[in-house]
Amino acid sequence: MITIELNGQQQTLPADSTVSDLLSIVGSDGKSLAVVVNEQIIRPEKRSAHKLQEGDRVELLMFAGGG
Amino acid sequence: MDLLQLGSYTFSSRLILGTGKFSNSTVMLDAVRASGAQLVTVALRRFNREQSEDDLFGPLLTLEGITLMPNTSGASTAAEAVRAAHIARELSGSPFIKVEIHPNPQHLMPDPIETFEASRILAKEGFLVMPYIAADPVLAKRLEEVGCASVMPLGSAIGSGQGLATSEMLNIIIRESGIPVIVDAGLRSPSEAAHAMEMGCAAVLVNSAVAAAGNPPAMAEAFAEAVVAGRKAIRAGLMEKSGSAVATSPLTFLGTL
Repeated sequence: MITIELNGQQQTLPADSTVSDLLSIVGSDGKSLAVVVNEQIIRPEKRSAHKLQEGDRVELLMFAGGG
Repeated sequence: MDLLQLGSYTFSSRLILGTGKFSNSTVMLDAVRASGAQLVTVALRRFNREQSEDDLFGPLLTLEGITLMPNTSGASTAAEAVRAAHIARELSGSPFIKVEIHPNPQHLMPDPIETFEASRILAKEGFLVMPYIAADPVLAKRLEEVGCASVMPLGSAIGSGQGLATSEMLNIIIRESGIPVIVDAGLRSPSEAAHAMEMGCAAVLVNSAVAAAGNPPAMAEAFAEAVVAGRKAIRAGLMEKSGSAVATSPLTFLGTL
């Protein structure tokens, strides 16, 4: 198991989890989300190959209402 | 045709609508449709699986002819705003970015130094930068010089409904500006939007006035009509003001009877 920081909270994942695996765990298809790992944007086509590491800081961001 | 030009983009609507503070996304979508807005602002927020209904991306995709203008709200430095702009572009595919940097939640006044720096960097990177600023003619000119697509000075504080409190400075900005001036923030009533357009604003950006109205879609429509009226008025040419009465009817005829 590895522990990452997901949107500021600790999250435990199986070792070798990818960004796509993480999206499945949080219940999103990821189409409307931006994924940022250690301040680097992970594009949709790279998500299934991008393995998460112990201590990674992951931000999942979406569009919400704003003026 | 009288179009709003921002960079290489043109819009027939001069009303830009914000999507914050609506009671739910159905009302928001109805208001966007009623407003006729073609440019719509959104904010970036952390995904929360318990509040996934707040995700506006899917609902906004159901609207045709809409271009998204993400904002950088939540950023308190230029570096944070630049990072937010990159993430927003990744999600939206839109070159528009509303640079909004207000470090103090008490008054939400934009930080001119960080706003200038973020705008300079993002304009250089090819974004269509729409900075939210105080009604400062000097800053507005500096932002034009670094390649912003428009400047968006506030009419009054965000969400305050105090209208065009800065109109004296807005007039100077409009007179001096070589890029579109868009009043952003503080409007409450459609008559204020019409007034802003009559002053020479290229467009107005409204959010709270619609979202917090009793009937948001009806208010969106009212703002749309006011913006059109104000624009028509300035293009028609407003009459000169006079310090005294100027008769519209002959004053001599009855005296000669």
